[in-house]
Amino acid sequence: MIAALNGAFDDISKAMRLHRVWIALAHEDIGDQHRRTTLGPLWMLVNYLAFIGTFIFVFKTKDTDSAGYTAYASIGLVVWFYLMEMISLSVPLFSREASFIQGTRLPLFVYVMRLTVQCIIRASYSVAGCIVILLLSGLGISAEWLLSIPGLLLIVLATPAIVMVFAFLGAFFPDAQFIVGNIMRVGTFLTPVFWAYHGQGGIQNYAYHWNPFTYFLEVVRAPIASGEFPTHPFVVTAYISLAFWAVALLLLGGYRKRVVFLI
Amino acid sequence: MISIKLDNVSLAYRLYEKLTLTAPDRRLGGLGGKIGRSGGKQVVQALEDVSFELKAGDRLGLVGPNGAGKTTLLKVLYGIYQPSAGTVAIEGKVDALFNINIGFRPEATGRRNIVLRGLISGWTEAEIQEKMPEIIAFSELGDFIDVPFKTYSQGMAARLAFSAATALDPEILLMDEWIGAGDAQFQEKAKRRMDELAEKAGIIVLATHNESLLESVCTKRMTLKNGRVEAFTTKPAERAGTRAKS
Repeated sequence: MIAALNGAFDDISKAMRLHRVWIALAHEDIGDQHRRTTLGPLWMLVNYLAFIGTFIFVFKTKDTDSAGYTAYASIGLVVWFYLMEMISLSVPLFSREASFIQGTRLPLFVYVMRLTVQCIIRASYSVAGCIVILLLSGLGISAEWLLSIPGLLLIVLATPAIVMVFAFLGAFFPDAQFIVGNIMRVGTFLTPVFWAYHGQGGIQNYAYHWNPFTYFLEVVRAPIASGEFPTHPFVVTAYISLAFWAVALLLLGGYRKRVVFLI
Repeated sequence: MISIKLDNVSLAYRLYEKLTLTAPDRRLGGLGGKIGRSGGKQVVQALEDVSFELKAGDRLGLVGPNGAGKTTLLKVLYGIYQPSAGTVAIEGKVDALFNINIGFRPEATGRRNIVLRGLISGWTEAEIQEKMPEIIAFSELGDFIDVPFKTYSQGMAARLAFSAATALDPEILLMDEWIGAGDAQFQEKAKRRMDELAEKAGIIVLATHNESLLESVCTKRMTLKNGRVEAFTTKPAERAGTRAKS
């Protein structure tokens, strides 16, 4: 296990020295995805606005606090889109990078960071859209919003570990791509993205408390929606992140040389 | 001191079969490594007990039928595949040219691809910019350097890949057989550059089916079959010397 961890740290430190590579490749990826389109990456902002616009239009009822619901759903959706995209793109990561993995000696963590940066760039467009919506919603800016930043940082720090775990899962178990795809689609409805939990029983109770995504959403959303620092969700998210990092390091250390034969 | 030393290197890996309802075709051909079974799993024995040693200035040609293990051996030397047994000891800065499309982005221009390739090889931005005019000049791509890579012909892509890979003076250069993609004039130029590299006490390992390329570039020759070394011959020194200079 010590050897595995040493291998993992070696891979990570080599990859960190090659930071220019993954930053450049991530920019290329974003450019390629929107090549020849008029709006370019702004399409990510349009997608987000179209989605959240529909949610607010459909789910806002007369008796709900309009500004509060707008904030609740728009922040929830930013985080959810980020998690959904990151996890769905992670599963086929190594097979997508097959030509690089089979032809270069780049550490595997380079591909992990490449996807991480790509997801962060993409999310920044929805974050910009979200901030505009919050400003227009009439909620009123407050200093408590800054309490969302630790939550955002925590999610960003957990991203490489989550990407790595799902990438290894996809490499060893190709069916995972479809299983995870389905789970994430269902997750949009089982996660409190656009519905709020007010102590209801039944499925919503389980979907709120036993769903790890809930905590990832709450660490960012609670400070803006309720003005309080979400200590419990923060601790849970931190534990989940640490668990992902532990598994990710063991996988990277133990199996990084095997990936080339699997893809 | 630049050197390569392999001791009883073997490479076996598990073959992951796709789930399929059709009956598998078990007719064995004469190509490739051996496919064996171990505990119900299919295992490919791609290399078996490969040992050899190369010193500075050596130019080794790898020959053998398709699937004999030439590319696999190059990938072991480059460090992509970890051997399942034996030891590999390499001294020197290694660069490799495998498939032309590896490490190149079709949508990016030739110039941008040089930058990416340089970053991947661990060059700094300044080193890349310094080498850029030379790489472009050597590739003779002219204005095409600012056109997306996907519009290049195989030969043009080969020119760019070769120019970029040899620009930062690798001490050990591993090359797969695609080098034949360039036209005669470029192949001649490439040969000269390989000679220069070998004269600077570098090592070249070239996998090819092209006898004339092998004759003019290589000083040693290793024949692989089914992942095993069948023959290892050294050309008489004076003959290799005259060839290299011609």
